[in-house]
Amino acid sequence: MGEDLPLKMTGVSKWFGSFQAVRDLDFDVPQGSIVGFLGPNGAGKSTSLRMALGVLSPDRGDVSLLGAPPNLESLKRVGFLPEERGLYKKMSPRQIITYFARLKGMSSRDAKARADELLDMMGLGEFARSRVTKLSKGMAQKVQILSALAHRPNFLILDEPFSGLDPVNQQALEDLIIEEHKRGATIVFSTHVMEHAERLCEKIVMMARGRKVFDGTLDEAFAALGRAVHIGVAEGFDLSAALGPSGFEAVQEGDHWRGSLKQAQSSQDALRATLDAGAPITSFTPQEARLRDVFVSLVSEAEAQDLTDTLAADAAEGREAA
Amino acid sequence: MIRSTYLVTMRDYLGYVSAWGFWLGLLFTPIILGIFILAPTLAQNAQPTRYFAVIEAGDTFTNALTEQMTESVSVTARAMLDPIAIAQNQDSEKLTAYDEARANGATVEEAFSQAGGFPDMLPRQDFVQVDAPVSNSADLAPYITGATLVDTSEGPQPLFAAFVVNDESGEIEYWSENLQAQALMSFARQAERELQLDRALATVNVDRSILNEARAARRDVTQQRVRTGEDADTETKVTQADQAPFVVSIMMAFSLWFLIFSVINYLLMGTIEERSNKIFDSLLTSVKLPHLLAGKLLAVLLLSLTLVGFWSVGSGVVTWFARDMISADVAQFFGAIFTAAANPALFVPAIISFVLGYLMYGSLFLALGSLCDTIQEAQTLMTPLFVTLMAPLAMLAFAIQDAESALIEIMAWVPVFTPFLLILRMPTEPPVWEVLAQLGLMALTTFVILHLATRVYRAGAVHGAGVNDVWAFFGKLVPGKKSAA
Repeated sequence: MGEDLPLKMTGVSKWFGSFQAVRDLDFDVPQGSIVGFLGPNGAGKSTSLRMALGVLSPDRGDVSLLGAPPNLESLKRVGFLPEERGLYKKMSPRQIITYFARLKGMSSRDAKARADELLDMMGLGEFARSRVTKLSKGMAQKVQILSALAHRPNFLILDEPFSGLDPVNQQALEDLIIEEHKRGATIVFSTHVMEHAERLCEKIVMMARGRKVFDGTLDEAFAALGRAVHIGVAEGFDLSAALGPSGFEAVQEGDHWRGSLKQAQSSQDALRATLDAGAPITSFTPQEARLRDVFVSLVSEAEAQDLTDTLAADAAEGREAA
Repeated sequence: MIRSTYLVTMRDYLGYVSAWGFWLGLLFTPIILGIFILAPTLAQNAQPTRYFAVIEAGDTFTNALTEQMTESVSVTARAMLDPIAIAQNQDSEKLTAYDEARANGATVEEAFSQAGGFPDMLPRQDFVQVDAPVSNSADLAPYITGATLVDTSEGPQPLFAAFVVNDESGEIEYWSENLQAQALMSFARQAERELQLDRALATVNVDRSILNEARAARRDVTQQRVRTGEDADTETKVTQADQAPFVVSIMMAFSLWFLIFSVINYLLMGTIEERSNKIFDSLLTSVKLPHLLAGKLLAVLLLSLTLVGFWSVGSGVVTWFARDMISADVAQFFGAIFTAAANPALFVPAIISFVLGYLMYGSLFLALGSLCDTIQEAQTLMTPLFVTLMAPLAMLAFAIQDAESALIEIMAWVPVFTPFLLILRMPTEPPVWEVLAQLGLMALTTFVILHLATRVYRAGAVHGAGVNDVWAFFGKLVPGKKSAA
């Protein structure tokens, strides 16, 4: 474990009163990776990240941050952007970045120099000494992001970093994350916008209703949903029967057939098999899997499972009452 | 710990002192206090002169009334010349000079001036007598109602009041449309009491001068105290030095109250700002909660020391420039005050009380601030605390009368009042065990409150607990009542 896994959560659960926000969460973050923490609103992402940082204590399970339970020493090597954005309104961006960098252990001189460098890099140099109240929402958010990484942390935890940013600033933040990753930082960020995760992450963890519903690489996520091709053939032709000997499965969906691709099969293989089977092809469209589809599929399954669990629990309760 | 606490302290402190509201408070508090002190004189001087007339056969009542009004100004003049000697019923050079000048026929203004006072500082005469415009009460109506004016040195003016000395009924009628102002009527009553005394003395053929001589020859009641130890050989008569510790203790207790009351608000506002700006998570991943709270409390403590320092230096500068105007008696009095304040038996418990009292109330305000998003929410929670803070102020009044009263003695055992009341009790030299026990109890209570405040702060900062959770908590304590939460 230790530094190879900057973050490891084992069997972590958290209740708020009678509401269980996180259920038996197991996941780890490999050193030097970018991990996307995905899930719909209320999935338990922020609660999990706050437990990872020691802001909240888990009711059950263990958290290891940089090889030890979260503590102030390890947190000095962590940069955190909380979901709830906030800055001291009467301070300037330079003062805020310097303040948080110093709290993380930087000297005053280094912190100021770093603040200037980051503000210039993000195009906020001319606002360095303005009050935060003079900044736009996007600018203020950038200042908070810069506060999180001013002390050059080894490990960055960003909770919904893209929310509230316009597309230009979202791209700038993606570039910044890539830069930090190149510098050697391990990064975890939560989001419910799948495109960012698709572009940035090597690994993703999906949550729904407090449960982990997926933990793996992007390829594994796509594999979970399954790839397919849509094939149009002349009316009356039975593609399922024609493809049977070649090992491809095809199911009719309205005016076309849906051919499922197994792990080692490519869409070219499917096209070749269809032609070899003598099918009168009118169209052939490879269906590129999107993380969004995986997400919707897994979340729907989780919600359905959750509903089933709830009904079962209610039924058990009813039997007991009877 | 020291570094993160220091950083939080400095950020908060610089945040407070960079606000224009702080400097307004710093500069305006002494001005407002000055206005508060001078307000009665200013209000009196702002009052337009009121004219009155006396209708009587002869001038006996008129003279007695004039004498009472003059005596009233004379009492004020003496008090202004040497307030400390007056308060302590002692003689002084200034008062002697004034009394001699008056005995030699000088007016109040002349005597005041001869004794070293500035006549312009004397309050102006409120009431000026004018010649009666009519000779009986039946014709007074148009003058009293203001329909007809009377001639005065400032030209025609309304008549504020009139006295009609009715020898037939033996009554002195007071006519005025102002039913609230009683000052002139009080002078009249006092004048009539003196006249009645003269009449009574005359019936037994005793001259008024004999009574005056008898009054002048009365024996003085002097306050004495037992001297022991090193002071055994000193005079037993109570001096300024004996009374100074009581004055100092009241000043210290009031200063403590004033400082807590005036700076504690900063803690509240600062915490509300952090909660409403949602900075807690960023802070709590950079600094431990106890260190954060310590930094915040230290910042406001530093702020209060800044206030005290600024006002002390300001007072010193003003005193330095006004040193020629300060009489030897006043200087001696302040000397006694400083000597008493420097006594470790007084200032050590005072400093401990200040620190513990500040921590006790400061942590409470911090904790409650962490539960509130707005100042409006805070107000609902602060009311009980403010009421608690007002109680010691009321007890200061008792302490001024009698610092050894049973009320002060008993209430000093209530930890939330101990910081103020222990200071008040110190000049009465309570038993050492009692002082130590009260300090210990206060320290224990402060520790418990700090601990609870940390938990409440965590609930507010981390879990987002709010005002409704507080009411829900108290709701659970009420038997038979279901919590709303």
